[in-house]
Amino acid sequence: MKMLDQPLVVSGELSWLGGDRLERRVEHPNREVSTIADGQVSQEREGREPRRFSLKRAPQLQILLDSFVAMLGGDATRLEQAFAIQYSGDDARRWTLTLTPRDPKLVRTVSRIEIDGAGNEPHCMRMQEADGDLAVDLLGGLAAKMPAVPTRDALAALCRGG
Amino acid sequence: MLLAVWMVALAAIGAIVAQRLRVSTDLRSFMPAPATPDQRLMMEQVGEGPGSRLLLLAIAGKSDEQLAALSQQLTASLRKDERYSQALNGSFDIASLDEQLLPYRYLLSPTLDTQAMDAPFLRDELEQRLEDLSSPAAGLLKGLLPRDPTLEVLKLAERWTPPKSPEVREGVWFSPQDEALLLVQTRAAGFDPDAQAVAIDGIHKAFDALPGHEGATLKVSGPGYFSVVANAQTRGQAEWIGRISTVGFIVLLLLAYRSIGSLLLSALPIASAALAGIAALIVLFPQVHGITLAFGFTLLGVAQEYPIRVLSHRRAGENALQSVRDLWPLLLTAIASACIAYLAFYASGVNGLKQLAVFTITGLLVAGFSTRYLLPHLLPERVHDVAGMGWLVRARRWADALPRPRWIPVLVAVATVVMLVFARGAFWQNDLSALTPLPRDLLQEDARLREALGAPDVRYLLVMEARDEQGVLALSERLQSTADALVARHAVDAIELPSRYLPSEAVQRTRQQRLPDRATLERALAEAEQGMPFQAGLFAPFVADVQKARALPPLTAERFAMSPLGQRVSAMLMPRGDHWVGLGTLSGVHDVAALQALAHGSSGAVRLLDLKETAESMVVDYRTRILHALLAATLLLVVAITVALRSVRRAWHVLAPMTLATFLVLAVERVAGVEISLFHLVALILAAGLGLHYALFFERDTGDAAEQRRTLHATLVCVLSALLVFGMLAWSSIPVLRAIGLTVSLGVAFHFCLSILMAPHARQD
Repeated sequence: MKMLDQPLVVSGELSWLGGDRLERRVEHPNREVSTIADGQVSQEREGREPRRFSLKRAPQLQILLDSFVAMLGGDATRLEQAFAIQYSGDDARRWTLTLTPRDPKLVRTVSRIEIDGAGNEPHCMRMQEADGDLAVDLLGGLAAKMPAVPTRDALAALCRGG
Repeated sequence: MLLAVWMVALAAIGAIVAQRLRVSTDLRSFMPAPATPDQRLMMEQVGEGPGSRLLLLAIAGKSDEQLAALSQQLTASLRKDERYSQALNGSFDIASLDEQLLPYRYLLSPTLDTQAMDAPFLRDELEQRLEDLSSPAAGLLKGLLPRDPTLEVLKLAERWTPPKSPEVREGVWFSPQDEALLLVQTRAAGFDPDAQAVAIDGIHKAFDALPGHEGATLKVSGPGYFSVVANAQTRGQAEWIGRISTVGFIVLLLLAYRSIGSLLLSALPIASAALAGIAALIVLFPQVHGITLAFGFTLLGVAQEYPIRVLSHRRAGENALQSVRDLWPLLLTAIASACIAYLAFYASGVNGLKQLAVFTITGLLVAGFSTRYLLPHLLPERVHDVAGMGWLVRARRWADALPRPRWIPVLVAVATVVMLVFARGAFWQNDLSALTPLPRDLLQEDARLREALGAPDVRYLLVMEARDEQGVLALSERLQSTADALVARHAVDAIELPSRYLPSEAVQRTRQQRLPDRATLERALAEAEQGMPFQAGLFAPFVADVQKARALPPLTAERFAMSPLGQRVSAMLMPRGDHWVGLGTLSGVHDVAALQALAHGSSGAVRLLDLKETAESMVVDYRTRILHALLAATLLLVVAITVALRSVRRAWHVLAPMTLATFLVLAVERVAGVEISLFHLVALILAAGLGLHYALFFERDTGDAAEQRRTLHATLVCVLSALLVFGMLAWSSIPVLRAIGLTVSLGVAFHFCLSILMAPHARQD
């Protein structure tokens, strides 16, 4: 992230509650639960007032939601509608899916999402924001391998190699 | 020759009138002049207060996403339009806080009241921001961060969102019925139907110009919309009824006199009366009210009697001038007494009624004198004497043969008193809104939207008074904690005070003094940033804003008014004479007594204004004045009739049936459950004026059976035409028109029957 000298690392659980609903539980460094449901995002933090805002105001989240729900639900049509998809695989076991948002307004905030995986399992999700910031999600077993002070290169290698 | 001159004169006056007439539609000129400060404030609020200028909009019929897009586009186009001072749809736009005003956030937000801007505070805030950056809200806040790391803008936005706001979907307000909701404030006053019609039309035009509006419907509600609907309905029905009664009236006159020439000529005095009346209004008043004209023409109906009397009393072979000369003393008495009755309106002190008085008195005089001095010269020499008609002879014989026991008036009087005493319900109708001709479902729709939008109550206002703007703001600040307590106790759902948007200068200065200077702030920031990953110098814009805020002159309502939010403050804070008034709006009032108690504790500086109650108190004052004026007019009338007839006994024979019939109408309406409004009073006076004519003519003892028949003929034509016109009005669905129609119809019938039954000489025959 441009504003910061070092990357931010959080760990927790991301779960799909069915439909257009996602829940994100952060365990470390601070407990926090965020949910996306019915076009609303709510954020609850220990000892603070919950914060709510419309999904419309956070296009990045809309993209995240679209890609996750479509992928986890196996909804290829929906994925097709929201993104231009590019598939590349070195061999049958390893693959990378590059999703570029079709909505020109969204491209201005999120340039692309890359999902790395092997077999049936996604390992890693990288969201490249238009302002240069990069968000990397290590999924499943890979999450445990998150380095204490990660760099972009290390993470990219981890995603591709893990 | 005379006819040509008369026509030319009418055309000339008509041309001047058409050119100079300026019609106003502000309903407030038909309300009494306010006497107390509360009444004055109410009159302003009713017409121009923020509540009355608010229109509630609902867009329905498409998917949420499409509706939200329409809502955003409509808001954008209305914000550019001069006719609207505010357009809200629930989307929070940081841009609505003027760029120039942005540094003021440190003076407007209460954060620094309990908190110093020191290293521990900044550290805590920065830690939260770091969490924010790793959270779903990151994209939202990233742009704000360098300039506003403590998120004061968001704190202010939260503070300023309506306390009970509707659900936000797709970024805009939605009702539970899946309509996108908007609030629009017009510049035009709420009770100016014409200006409101233009504003509402503008909204519809803007909506129809949006791409993709097909298939979606736009609903508008609110006081301004109601005044438009009421105005259109009243006008529509009055026109429709007017057309039918005009046709009926013409047919009636043709049947009665069997002469088209007489009919056309008899219209001349009335046309002259109407034009002269309007001309008098133009000379005396800058603007003529639309209602004055509508009611005025109705009241002028009395003047149609003058030519009718002349036509009916023509004898075969007699010169028209001669018949008029015989009738003139009586006609003059009738004209004078009607004028006296309308003088009562002039004394009411209400601008609209004054205009009505000027119009009708001028009209009656012109109609009377043109009937006497102009009309007879034009009427044809040869006429059809009505006295010879067979049915009329039989009718007169039948009427004369009616039993006239002396106990009839006594019986009627006793019955009237009994009915008045035993009638149930309130005698007077004080609620002006009971006269609004609005369909129930419109009002329910409005209540539903108002509830969904959490729009403020239109009935109650909290009024704060102080010597100057700052005094009002300070008072409002002191009131805040009590107001919060009331909300917590559920006495009221929400109270919005002006200081919520604009703190007093004193508070702003205190906050300003707590802001650290550049060196201190930079030191605190450096300490807070210790060990955090934020880049060096990231918060330079923040430091710059704080320094700017330290040097700013405190924000005043005048300066604030330049931004959209400030408009809201201007509506809540206004100068009035030598002091300032602040208005607090209330939503969902549950416990009026608790709010009044709040006012009592303030030694007069704060009070709860009940707009409905104030309006009712005004109606009561208004009515008292009219009743006094009527009493004076009655006394004057008794004197005038006695002098004209030169006999107390004869005056009694004229006035007794008229008075009795007037009270009988009142009694019958009361027994039927009608509550008496101002419009009933106006109608009673009109009916009494007609009744006076009947009684005057029936009382006249000519000793000539043919002349008596002519009197009956003239009176029958008058009664039938009045019943025709006002009977039609009685069927109207508009309460005001119905009140007038019913009262005058009943009045005409009672006056006619009683004046025939109580006529003195018929008994002697």
